[in-house]
Amino acid sequence: MNMAGIVCRTLSRVVSSQTSCCSSVVSVRHSHWFTSILSPKTSVPLRAEPKKKKKVDPRREQMMKERLKKKLKKLERVPPELIPIEDFITTAKCFDETRVREVPKLSFEETERRALLLKHWSRYKFSQHQAEMAEIKEALEAQRQALEELKIESEDLYKAAIGPDTDLFPFQHQGPCYTPPIPNYEAPDGKYNDITRVYTQ
Amino acid sequence: MAAPFRCIYRPLWRVITGSGRLTVGMRNISFTENHFSATNHKTASVGSPWTLHGAVCLQRLPVISQDRNPIEEEFSGLMQQMELERSLLSDHELRLLEDAARMSRKQEEDYDSDEEEDYGDKEIVTAQDLEDAWEQKLKQFHPAQRSNGDKLDVSSSERCLADSLVLLIKQDVGSQKVWLLPQVQWKAGETLRQTAERALAHLPDVKATFLGNAPCGFYKYKYPKDIQKEGSVGAKVFFFKAVMCSPNHLPLEKNSFAWVKKDELKDFLTPEYLKQVNRFIMSL
Repeated sequence: MNMAGIVCRTLSRVVSSQTSCCSSVVSVRHSHWFTSILSPKTSVPLRAEPKKKKKVDPRREQMMKERLKKKLKKLERVPPELIPIEDFITTAKCFDETRVREVPKLSFEETERRALLLKHWSRYKFSQHQAEMAEIKEALEAQRQALEELKIESEDLYKAAIGPDTDLFPFQHQGPCYTPPIPNYEAPDGKYNDITRVYTQ
Repeated sequence: MAAPFRCIYRPLWRVITGSGRLTVGMRNISFTENHFSATNHKTASVGSPWTLHGAVCLQRLPVISQDRNPIEEEFSGLMQQMELERSLLSDHELRLLEDAARMSRKQEEDYDSDEEEDYGDKEIVTAQDLEDAWEQKLKQFHPAQRSNGDKLDVSSSERCLADSLVLLIKQDVGSQKVWLLPQVQWKAGETLRQTAERALAHLPDVKATFLGNAPCGFYKYKYPKDIQKEGSVGAKVFFFKAVMCSPNHLPLEKNSFAWVKKDELKDFLTPEYLKQVNRFIMSL
C-alpha cells in the first residue's frame, strides 16, 4: 500500500515536470505562425488562402441536398392526424369521485309504483300510436280516392294534380312553444364567447 | 299478440270502406234541403254530368304546446326523478356544497380565517346569491298568457292556441245558407288548385301555403231531380289543404266565418259532408 502510494507520487511528479516542459512547446505549437513537426508540410502563405472549388464539391453538395430531401419526404408521408370527435371523449370531470350523488334507497312501494307506471305508459303510447297510424292511413286513402275521381273526370286536371309542386320547398313554419309570441317584442341583445375548438389537419 | 291483431284488423277495415264507398257522398233525393248552384252550370268535359268545384281546407296550426294528460304529467315527473338520481353533481351544485361547508365552519367557535384557502380579503359571491339574482331576472320577464279563456268567440283565429283550427264559411247553396269549407266553381282553363286559391282570395288578408298540387279529399252530391238540367247530375267538390302562414288579427264577420277545432265540426257541418271532411282533417 505504501509503496504504491510513493510510486504514484513519483509518477505524478514526473508527469507534471514533463507537462511543464511540454507546455512551452504546446503554447508554441498552437500559435499559427509556427509549424509543428506533426502538421502537414504546407507553408504558411498557402494555408491562409481559401480552398479552391473543385468540381467534385458541387456534386457532393447536390447529393447531400437530395439525401436530405428524401429524408424529409419520408417523414412527410406520415398520414395526417385524425381530428378528435369531442362527443366521443368522456371528459375527466365524469370520472371525478367527488361528484357522485348520494342516492336514497327506494322503498318497495316506490319501485312498485314505478314499474306499474312504466307499463301504463307503454300501453298509453301504444294506443296513441295506433290512433295516429289509423288517422294517417285514412287521410292517404281519402287522397287516393280523390285522385281516382279526378282521373275519371278529366285527364288534364289529373295530370296537373299529380305534378310536383315547385313552390312548396323549402318550407318553413314556426312550431308551437310553451307561451304564445308577445306582439311587438324587442329581444335584448345577448353577448357570448364562442369557445369551440377548431382543428386543422 | 300485436301481429295477429294487425292481420285481422286490415281486411275488416277494407270491408268497411269497400261497402262504404258505394254509398258515400250520394245524398238521398228524399232530403228536403235543396242544394244546387243558381249560377250557370258548366260541365268539366263533354259528357261528364258533374260540375266541378274547388275548395280549400285552411288550417291554423297550433301556436302553443298542449296541456299534459294526468298520465303524461306523472310520467314526466318520474323521468325527471330518475334522471336526477342517475346523474352526477354539476359544478354549480359542488359550489353550493362548498359554500355550505364554509358557512358551517364559520359558525364554529375555533374559526380561523387564515386557514381558509383562496380566501383573502375579497368579497365572496356565493352560489346561492347567484341563484337569487337569476330568479330575480327571470321574474322581470313577463310571458304572454297561455290561454285566453272564453273571451274569444268562434270567429277569431286566436281561439284555442293549442289546437289546429279549420276555417268554415257560411255560403248560400241554392236557397239555404250552409256552413262549409270555402268553395268556388271551377272555370275552364285553370287547374283545381287555382280554383282553391281563388276561393281563398275572397277572405281578407290571409297568407296561406298550399301543400301540394293534389287534392286531399272529395265530396260529391246530386242535385234534386227537379233542378237537374241536361248534362249536370250534381257537383263534385275537391278539397285542397293549406296552412296559414301569418296570423291575421282582424276579426272577421261573426255570422259568416268560423275557426273550429275538429271536435266542433259536427256542430256546423251536415252529417254526410262531415263524414268526408273528417277523413282528411287531422287532430294530431
